[in-house]
Amino acid sequence: MKRLALSRDALRVLAAYGAAVLLFVIGAFVHPGFASFQSVTSILLVASFVGLVAAGQCFVILIGGIDLSVPWVLNAAAILLTTASLGQDGRALYAVSLTLGMGALAGLANGIGVVWLGVPAVVMTLAMNGIIEGLALGLSGGMTCAACASYAPPAIAAAVHGTWLGIPAALWLWLAVIVVVSFVLSLTRFGRATYAIGNNPRAAFLAGVNVSVTVVFLYALSGVFSALAGILLAGFGGQASLGMGTPYLFQSIAAVVIGGVSILGGRGTYLGAAAGAASLTALVSVLLALNMPEYGRSIIYGVVILVLLLLYGREQRE
Amino acid sequence: MPADPTSRPAAHRRRPRAAHILGQNSGLILAAAILLLSIIVFAGMFAVQQGRLPGDFEITSTVNNTMPLALAAIGQTIVVLTRGIDLSVGGVIDLTNALAAIFLAGSILHMIVVSLLIVLAGAAAGLINGLLVGLGRLQPIVVTLATLSIFQGLAIRVLPQPGGAVPAGYTSFLVNTNRPTALVFLALAALGWMGLRRSRLGVNLFAIGNDPQAAIALGVKAVRTRIVAYTIAGALYAVAGIFLAANATAGDATTGDGYTLTSIVAVVLGGVSLFGGRGSAVGAICGAFITTMIVNILFFAHIDPLYQSFYEGLFLVIAVVFGGLIGRLVRSGR
Amino acid sequence: MSAAAAAAAESVAAVAAREVSKAFGGVQALRSAPFAAAAGEVHALVGENGAGKSTLIKLLGGRLPPDSGAILLGGTPVRLSGTADAARHGIGTVFQELTLLPWMTVAENLLIGREPRRALGPIRRGAMAPRAEAVLAGLGITHIDPRALASEISLAERQIVEIARVIIRRPHILLLDEPTSSLVEREVAWLFARIRDLSAAGTAVVFTSHRWNEITSIADRITIFRNGAEVGTFDAIDEDEAITLMTGRRVEALYPPLPPVPADAPAVLEVANASLDGGSELGFSLAAGEILGIGGLAGQGHRELFLGLFGAPPLPRARVTVGGARTTIARPADAIHAGLGIALVPEDRKGEGLLLPLSVRDNLTLPILGRLSRLGVIRGAAERRMSREIIARLGIRTPGPAQPVGALSGGNQQKVLLGRWLLADSRILLFYDVTRGVDVATKHEIYELMMRLAGEGRAILFYSSDTEELAHLCHRVLVLRGGRIATELRPPDLAAEAIVAAAMRDADAG
Repeated sequence: MKRLALSRDALRVLAAYGAAVLLFVIGAFVHPGFASFQSVTSILLVASFVGLVAAGQCFVILIGGIDLSVPWVLNAAAILLTTASLGQDGRALYAVSLTLGMGALAGLANGIGVVWLGVPAVVMTLAMNGIIEGLALGLSGGMTCAACASYAPPAIAAAVHGTWLGIPAALWLWLAVIVVVSFVLSLTRFGRATYAIGNNPRAAFLAGVNVSVTVVFLYALSGVFSALAGILLAGFGGQASLGMGTPYLFQSIAAVVIGGVSILGGRGTYLGAAAGAASLTALVSVLLALNMPEYGRSIIYGVVILVLLLLYGREQRE
Repeated sequence: MPADPTSRPAAHRRRPRAAHILGQNSGLILAAAILLLSIIVFAGMFAVQQGRLPGDFEITSTVNNTMPLALAAIGQTIVVLTRGIDLSVGGVIDLTNALAAIFLAGSILHMIVVSLLIVLAGAAAGLINGLLVGLGRLQPIVVTLATLSIFQGLAIRVLPQPGGAVPAGYTSFLVNTNRPTALVFLALAALGWMGLRRSRLGVNLFAIGNDPQAAIALGVKAVRTRIVAYTIAGALYAVAGIFLAANATAGDATTGDGYTLTSIVAVVLGGVSLFGGRGSAVGAICGAFITTMIVNILFFAHIDPLYQSFYEGLFLVIAVVFGGLIGRLVRSGR
Repeated sequence: MSAAAAAAAESVAAVAAREVSKAFGGVQALRSAPFAAAAGEVHALVGENGAGKSTLIKLLGGRLPPDSGAILLGGTPVRLSGTADAARHGIGTVFQELTLLPWMTVAENLLIGREPRRALGPIRRGAMAPRAEAVLAGLGITHIDPRALASEISLAERQIVEIARVIIRRPHILLLDEPTSSLVEREVAWLFARIRDLSAAGTAVVFTSHRWNEITSIADRITIFRNGAEVGTFDAIDEDEAITLMTGRRVEALYPPLPPVPADAPAVLEVANASLDGGSELGFSLAAGEILGIGGLAGQGHRELFLGLFGAPPLPRARVTVGGARTTIARPADAIHAGLGIALVPEDRKGEGLLLPLSVRDNLTLPILGRLSRLGVIRGAAERRMSREIIARLGIRTPGPAQPVGALSGGNQQKVLLGRWLLADSRILLFYDVTRGVDVATKHEIYELMMRLAGEGRAILFYSSDTEELAHLCHRVLVLRGGRIATELRPPDLAAEAIVAAAMRDADAG
């Protein structure tokens, strides 16, 4: 007899999806049209930015790390995209590769600092955030440079806003990322190594897993995802602006944790983190629909995270 | 007395006492050394450019500007020692800063009562963190991330626009602009730390930071100790918020945000282990002053302020790598 | 059986358990177990792993509350709220897992909770080390530096500090859960002398051990546990009978016969110029089908040797030849893929071996995922088939390959670790204390497995803290001392006494 038993982890993912659906239902009550197709896709489009950052954050949290360099990697990516492309489609490909390369490089440096220099992840990525911030501000003269006023290439703006089968292209991209990341984490050698390292790096090392290279690669991936989100955000808003990355640190960590990924590493899935991103964005949208002032949103945001954590995020008792 | 049955040949010769002291306090010693070095570099640059050594004004403004960070860093140290981390620092400082700017007024007695109430408010905020971490068995990093948002929201509710005012008498008592008298408060805080280090609570803090399971087996009340740690930290953030308001003579509900990250930086520069159980608040105070000195040095080096965070970040990485290297050298050089 | 002990047994028990039960999740660790130890008595608790000994110690020591039943002190039921509460009742416990705080000094650890204080209460930190020094000297320990951090001293020294910390509190009831697991003979003798002192002063001593000779040499009475239930208390019992009671069946010959090493067996592993402590060097060679024992006192470089051969970290300057070819092993991945394949079963099963929350399958196939995957994608069907095969072959008791390894018993966890390397088809096996903390029945299975592996021509390098095991399971034994091979023992000279003598020869002079 085989009974369909849902593991603790699966329950957490379901809870995160349940929360998202519940918020849309609540939204529909307080604001007619909130749950319309149009409205849902536009909320999910906003969620996709958080979701992409959360993909990278999910990778590093799974190995017990954390990436605090998200805000300025993202911000610098948006600045780099607009200044390198000068708003011309012809330079878009070059600008995108340059930007993703910058993200990978920042992540790589994070990984190298954590693995080979032995700097704690919190410190290394915090310092990297400062380093990128200083470089972005300094090189752009505080966004006063001539190229800084450039817009994102129209092709990228169109790619974010344009729709295919009625769904924005950026959302398709996010869906693809969800599928690929979930596949990589659950069915590949790389994914297995990630979970092994997150559970016990020493035991993974003694079982022949190449811990250092895997960890460095994961940090690099996180940088790439932050940069990708920066590119899409620049395309979404048209321009880069200072401080645009700041909310994404908090939100990406919150999404990952709400999605049932253990902050200690080794447990959880990206499917859950994606649901976390969706429910967080839905929550903000509901509060905005209620004309909630900023302070109220901030408070409720924190309270909801705490309540969700208390419901299912407990450490197991010894 | 029975002969030692477990003694071994000469391999087990003891290290001199000084080697132990150096090895076990390498983080603190390194922090003090970096601070001293940065002061010398700063004084040198100052002397070359101004033709005199830094005087009362420079010392006083450095001390006054560093006070909030130093206090926040002591609080952060206490939490980090228990293997925790507190990201709500910024929110608590925002909130208490806002409260101070609005309610500090009137008679001396009134101001004393208000100050105490604000410290209590900070302690209450810390208590919430502590209860969630201790009783709720949630991870500190996510708990304090959530409460950060809550406290920031409350702060904006209390003081929607920057403003309010702190009476001049209050300001000159806490942060005298002519003499670095604020150092007295810092000395008091360091004294308090030394007392804590020599108390039951202090031993328990270090014990649960070393190994929570072992500490429980040794009879340490881990939950209670954690709650107390976060509460004390909250009270210290409140004092930091008050100092910040006194220094600015007004309040701003977002001015404290930066302290979350800078307090962690100060703690790390102060040689406190982020993995818990090792470190000293005195080191964290040094760490706080190092961060201020770096800004001063960058200023006198005529570095474009836009690049400031670049150099700070670079310095943080170098200091941590260097500190780790020294620690390893001291430990292996037996 | 001494008259004193007999009299003690009749007197009122100093500590007793009345029908205590304790369950963890769905597993009944103790069921209605009775137990009584009298003042001045040394009472041994024996049984396989998972028989409930450690659980009983935790209940008596106040670490865990019983689900039902009661703990009695001097005939009165008490409710212990924690270890601190137990200490107030005069109960001192040395738990199986060490509880020293790594970044605090030996003195701070030793005196925790009873630090020297000033009149108004603050701890006199400067007085800690001298006080600790004096306290340790009073117990006959002079080689441990009280100013050193707990993480800087050896495992055996840590265990001694742990024991000392409890003893100096002069408990009326002393509970010791496997206190000798890291100690060598001399240190065990020291411990037993302290136990005799305490019991002569009227302390009731309860202890557990897997080593039978220790039990018979110190225990006044022996209580045997099986499957969470008490199966008998004896003043004296011989080993065979005790093992029968512990396992519920008769274990005919505990040590299976060794398959002979063929005379023409090739050397599969040759090591030269290996330095374990940065100084003196050693070398040896291991033949196919041979079980080579490594003996000696704890802390003589065994761990460094085993980890070093596995590249974690590599031995400096060592020349290693695997299957006749000179090989550089810089990390475990190199060792696993070197020539015939090297495998390491490390000392610390939970910390270094297994990924406890992950499934049995994930743990089994981790080193061979490269072979099991195509373009990085794991072939699921093949993986499932291979893990089922190895589960069946080793008789790993698990509901299925998807079960988290942490939910299995200690013995079965060890089998998963062994199974991992059978799957990898490693021909050179480094077994570091594989039977430590494993129950008698599983130990026996591991012995037989070792014989089978050697018979198949695999080479085994074997370290054990149990010298009897070394003497019975190895073709040859190298005794390490100070990072060098002090002696090589072969039959007929190969005996536990000879290993011990070789290990300690110089230590006596020093």
